[in-house]
Amino acid sequence: MNETPQAGVLLSMRLSVRYGDRPDVLRDVQVNIRRGEVLGLVGQSGSGKSTLAMAVLGLLDRKQASAEGSIVCEGRDLLRLREKEFRALRGRKLALVLQSPLSALNPALKIRTQLKEAWRAHASGTPADCNNAVRLALESVTLPSTDDFLRKYPSQMSVGQAQRVLIAMAVMHRPALLIADEATSALDIITQAEILTLFRQLNRSTGMAILYISHDLASVGGICDRIAILHQGQIVELGTTEQVLTTPQHEYTRRLMAAMPKIPQPQISPQEKTEAAAAK
Amino acid sequence: MRSWHGRVWRRVASIVLLLVVGVSLSANWLAPEGYARQYREAASAPPSRQHWLGTDEIGRDRLARVLYGTRISLLLAPAAALLSTLMAALIGGLAGYLGGAWARVAMAVTDLFLSLPWLFLLITVRAMMPLNVSPMISVLVTFLLLGLLGWTTASRVLCATAGSLRNADFVQQARASGVPDARLFWVHVVPNLKPVLYAQFWISIPAFILSEANLGILGLGVTEPTPSWGSLLRELEGVISIGEEPWKFVPLVLLVIVVTSFQLVLSDQEQVAA
Repeated sequence: MNETPQAGVLLSMRLSVRYGDRPDVLRDVQVNIRRGEVLGLVGQSGSGKSTLAMAVLGLLDRKQASAEGSIVCEGRDLLRLREKEFRALRGRKLALVLQSPLSALNPALKIRTQLKEAWRAHASGTPADCNNAVRLALESVTLPSTDDFLRKYPSQMSVGQAQRVLIAMAVMHRPALLIADEATSALDIITQAEILTLFRQLNRSTGMAILYISHDLASVGGICDRIAILHQGQIVELGTTEQVLTTPQHEYTRRLMAAMPKIPQPQISPQEKTEAAAAK
Repeated sequence: MRSWHGRVWRRVASIVLLLVVGVSLSANWLAPEGYARQYREAASAPPSRQHWLGTDEIGRDRLARVLYGTRISLLLAPAAALLSTLMAALIGGLAGYLGGAWARVAMAVTDLFLSLPWLFLLITVRAMMPLNVSPMISVLVTFLLLGLLGWTTASRVLCATAGSLRNADFVQQARASGVPDARLFWVHVVPNLKPVLYAQFWISIPAFILSEANLGILGLGVTEPTPSWGSLLRELEGVISIGEEPWKFVPLVLLVIVVTSFQLVLSDQEQVAA
């Protein structure tokens, strides 16, 4: 199932990707990402989700992968851009948040340096301008911008804090599209909920579109406006969150739904029921 | 796991090194007459109250020459190690980070250098230079040569390390932030090479001390009258037996003690690099 381009579309792709001589990882995937929407991309491991994210960001070059088709963003085909042109878009128009925050942050650099590097990639100004941008970015993800915090190394932070720092780096230049590649998979359930809320807040406050990549239908259902199901390199189902979760059309989507973990209901004996009623 | 006797030996070795460096830096006070003054009335003299280690064949105080020679060897070997480590970081680190054809070409050149017998190479290059250069220039040339030719092994290690960082998540994340390639290498990759760079730096120092000694024995190191361990060891050419003039072996004993101490201290660094 594929999409045709529509008005209000930020990014429109028709994409096939292969690694070396191996069969295509993505086969003629057609998806549109609308301005300001949160699009969920769901699929199991190896289905090509991260490959799609890397293709959109032009980061497949170091993986000996070749991409065919087109990824049109604001009238420009990203696949035809030179590296220098692409670099100008990364971080400014298109941003990325990776799965494991502790490995996505540089272990040898202080948080302050990493945030400043993200700022310097697309801005120039006085140290005060830079400090101000860092402070605003940290505030947008509800992190302190104190000296003590900025002096920390990634290993000195919790996973949740590290993920927020990554998000602060990603949203520093107010990108039009944020790609969150399994950005909550490495988090505990409470931190996961906090990060999902943060994504939603950022989406609403900045109008930034989010491509939320996950294998977890539950978290996707909690944040996304639309969901695309990726299976063996193809989009097999695409629709609003409600449509996909309540009336799944494709067999694979139904299998995904069935595989979702369910919380077992506690077994109550007739005697306990009587006691509970009496207590009331 | 680090054993307690390993820790004790490392501590002893560190103290020995500090002591040797400290004493050699105090040469101006311990031997105020300098290393070049000739006591012609006491040429080839055995140890005495005035000359604790005797004098050489033209009457220079051997202790003064050992102290000043130690200073030169111990100050310039780190300088050469720094130069070779920086070159290794630039060649090996950059090649590993860029990967592909860059890495293949850089490593082919490195292998070519590694396949050459290093001593032969040093002798050839040093012999191409005029022998009548001033002592200061000979010191600089000797250690510059060591630095310029000693980067190969470290380069291979750094190429492999940088290659493993090339596709690390944090490099991917920085690229996705729009950080340019040059900054990616210097700001994001090089700081992660630091443990390997430190280890390579320290490991190179004893190797360069020995290399200088080898060149000095062959008369291709630091030129007279400036002393270095290499030039001091040349005195042993004419020694027939250890028992005859044991004080002449002091530079050799010192060299062995210092290099061994370095190896003991470095066992820690090698664990860091591993």
